[in-house]
Amino acid sequence: MLSERAEEILEALWIQMEEQGKKQLDLGASRDEPAIDELSRLGFIRKDLDHIHLLEKGKAHASGCIRRHRLAERLLTDVFYVRKKIIDEVSCKFEHLLHKGLEDNVCTILGHPKVCPHGKPIPSGRCCTERKEKRSLKFVARLADLDVKDKGHIAYLQTKDRSQMQKLISIGAIPGVSIVLLQKFPSYVFQTGQSQFAIDKELASSIYVRLTK
Amino acid sequence: MRKIAIVGSPNVGKSVMFNNLTGAYATVSNYPGTTVEVSRGKAKIGNEDFEIIDTPGMYSLLPISEEEKVSRDILLKEKPCAILHIVDAKNIERMLPLTLQLLEAGLPVILVLNIMDEAKRLGINIDVNSLEKELKISVVATVSTSGEGMDILRGKIEEHVRAFC
Amino acid sequence: MLERFAKKIGYDDPLEVYLSKLQALVYGDYPLSRRSIALLLLQEDKDVLDLIKDKEKERLDEILKIVGEAGAHYSHPLTYIIGQRRQEEANRICDAAISFKERQRVTLRERLSKVLMNPFTGGPILLFVLYYGLYKFVGTFGAGVLVDFMEDKVFGEYISPFMINLVKSTLPFKLLQDLLIGEYGIITLGVRYAMAIILPIVATFFFAFAVVEDTGYLPRLAMLIDQLFKKIGLSGRAVIPMVLGLGCDTMATMVTRTLPTKRERIIATLLLALAIPCSAQMGVILALLGDNPLGLVVWLGVIILVFLVVGFLAAKIMPGELPTFYMEIPPLRLPHLSNILRKTYSRLRWYFWEILPLFIFASVFIWLGQITGIFNVLVRILEHPVRWIGLPSEAGVAFLFGFFRRDYGAAGLYDLKKAGLLSGNQLVVASVTLTLFLPCIAQLLMNIKERGMRMGMVMSVFILWFSFTVGYLLNIILTLLNLQL
Repeated sequence: MLSERAEEILEALWIQMEEQGKKQLDLGASRDEPAIDELSRLGFIRKDLDHIHLLEKGKAHASGCIRRHRLAERLLTDVFYVRKKIIDEVSCKFEHLLHKGLEDNVCTILGHPKVCPHGKPIPSGRCCTERKEKRSLKFVARLADLDVKDKGHIAYLQTKDRSQMQKLISIGAIPGVSIVLLQKFPSYVFQTGQSQFAIDKELASSIYVRLTK
Repeated sequence: MRKIAIVGSPNVGKSVMFNNLTGAYATVSNYPGTTVEVSRGKAKIGNEDFEIIDTPGMYSLLPISEEEKVSRDILLKEKPCAILHIVDAKNIERMLPLTLQLLEAGLPVILVLNIMDEAKRLGINIDVNSLEKELKISVVATVSTSGEGMDILRGKIEEHVRAFC
Repeated sequence: MLERFAKKIGYDDPLEVYLSKLQALVYGDYPLSRRSIALLLLQEDKDVLDLIKDKEKERLDEILKIVGEAGAHYSHPLTYIIGQRRQEEANRICDAAISFKERQRVTLRERLSKVLMNPFTGGPILLFVLYYGLYKFVGTFGAGVLVDFMEDKVFGEYISPFMINLVKSTLPFKLLQDLLIGEYGIITLGVRYAMAIILPIVATFFFAFAVVEDTGYLPRLAMLIDQLFKKIGLSGRAVIPMVLGLGCDTMATMVTRTLPTKRERIIATLLLALAIPCSAQMGVILALLGDNPLGLVVWLGVIILVFLVVGFLAAKIMPGELPTFYMEIPPLRLPHLSNILRKTYSRLRWYFWEILPLFIFASVFIWLGQITGIFNVLVRILEHPVRWIGLPSEAGVAFLFGFFRRDYGAAGLYDLKKAGLLSGNQLVVASVTLTLFLPCIAQLLMNIKERGMRMGMVMSVFILWFSFTVGYLLNIILTLLNLQL
């Protein structure tokens, strides 16, 4: 089992390399930390004179940590309504509780989210591609994955396409609004307030709904 | 001649309102996007003649389609002395953000809650005074297809013009 | 005045800071309040950006820098952040002003709405609507009963004899008499076609269309058909111009403006010009093929096939944004007769003033062409493609008319059929070719107006070539299969 500190370092390395595009890292202040030794002993990193290199084994492990961290953030925001300001702090602790197996359940509960509340991508897991839903596990789900008559409130919108975002906002599909799915074939029909809208699958996949029973 | 522009989301009865005010005829139907061209007509309200402009539907001040752009351009270029924002009374929550945007833009808005009959049938009760107080503008409830509330609307337009134009 | 009205919604902290920085930097004279300009800038509105470039030259860099910073501060687009805040404010205001009574049971109209939107019940209902609305009411009643009445009674017994006598007794010159009452005369051909054939058909169509659209059926149809339309590069939204095109393609081309992307507008314009027969045309074609059900089926099959194939290929070839579909489904409403009549009347008036001059122009043109001999030359040129598709040379005249109005051409075929000059196969091939053939002059002009000169002309050339090619192929296929329709 990796120490918390080692995991943190591993995550920081991963973010800098995968998301900020750096090749290697200056060793700097962390030179003498025991966690660094722990990581290189496990074959996660390689250390030369001034730099740290993240190795394949380390990358795989780090991406899992990042996934758990960001899933934890989603869970805390979408389900537990934790205030934005303390999200980071709480999720750091929370992610360590989400070990394998549990992590996929959380991902399913949240509707296999693609980004964290800050908009950073969440690495996908096995559960995201398999998609064998256990109905009882749904808590937040994309509108496209709901069943007819499912009700809830829009939790957030997630689309890369700006004009799609604008379309959704202009028809009033905005976080907080209550929503009922009326039909899903041949198009998705939903009701908000007293109006009904028909949208295609693409738009329906951009709306994440927090379900109410 | 002073101008009055009619704006609002698609399918809230803007064209019927235009027909009521001007006595002219702009095509009306039960689907969003019937009006693709701007209709203009004359209306006598109080003792003054106004040019009434009916615009294609718009959801927000940030246009997505060509028709929405047409509508915004009217607001920007023609400087109407009153803007009637027509909303579906059943769906005020969804349509109020446009009112707020128009107000943010500093435009002279009168809010018209149309299709009140359907709202009442659904058991929706709207306190017009409270809306007026919150928004600090005139608010009128109407049923454009039957003409209910049109006289009050004309009165509010007169007041508005006297106060601001 | 602007700043006086501006009601202020407060935004969250970093956003509000950026806003006030921007507000302080826009000095120019704008039709919107400075706050609104700043908000639109943050949402990257192109028009406002152009305005700023023009009016705030010295501060442009600084302004753009702030917009960039604000965008970078949030991981979501600012439209989203701003939209969310406005909705919160709207909800707060509504919570104070609106109260709900107990929601009553599911109403009949909601149940009906569900039936219309269910693909299993909605499909048959569509066929029902098309059969009774289009085939029975427009085809049989409008193009049959009303046209017969107008042609045989009103024109045949009253107007034509009266006008012919009047012209003959007042105008002594044969040449001028021909212009008015000759074979292609303004009164005997132009006005008669317009009033006796086209008017009843178009009037019944517009009436039926008005009933259908006022109930709120069309958005439901759009929602049913969206997936199919995606295959041809359109979204369900395009169903409205397409159905309207069954009435008048010219009017429908104008309505393509409601489609959100340029790509959709071009594809819709092409399909309207090519494969959507307008009501006048359809009326005449129903009259041509009405006693030949198999021929009618072949005609319909070919047109639908062309519609889908050309749409599919156009969608493959055309670059650009893929369509997304979103549409409000209004409640079903019982149409008011007065609104339907007013709407039918206003559309009819628009239509009539659009076409009557063209009909008269066509008569004058043909008259001039006959005097100068150009008409004969053109007919002879057209006789070649007409023969390629296996028709008698006389049909060339009908195709020349087709340049002016497709329905006018169809009506020309109608005369040929009456004279017994066309076999079943020839009728079907001619109907198909003429349906696909160049749009009428009004639509050609509308295409150019809406899509630009270049695009309008390219489409026309394509359609001209394509319609004869399909006619040619159809003729060969029918011959090879030894089918007699």
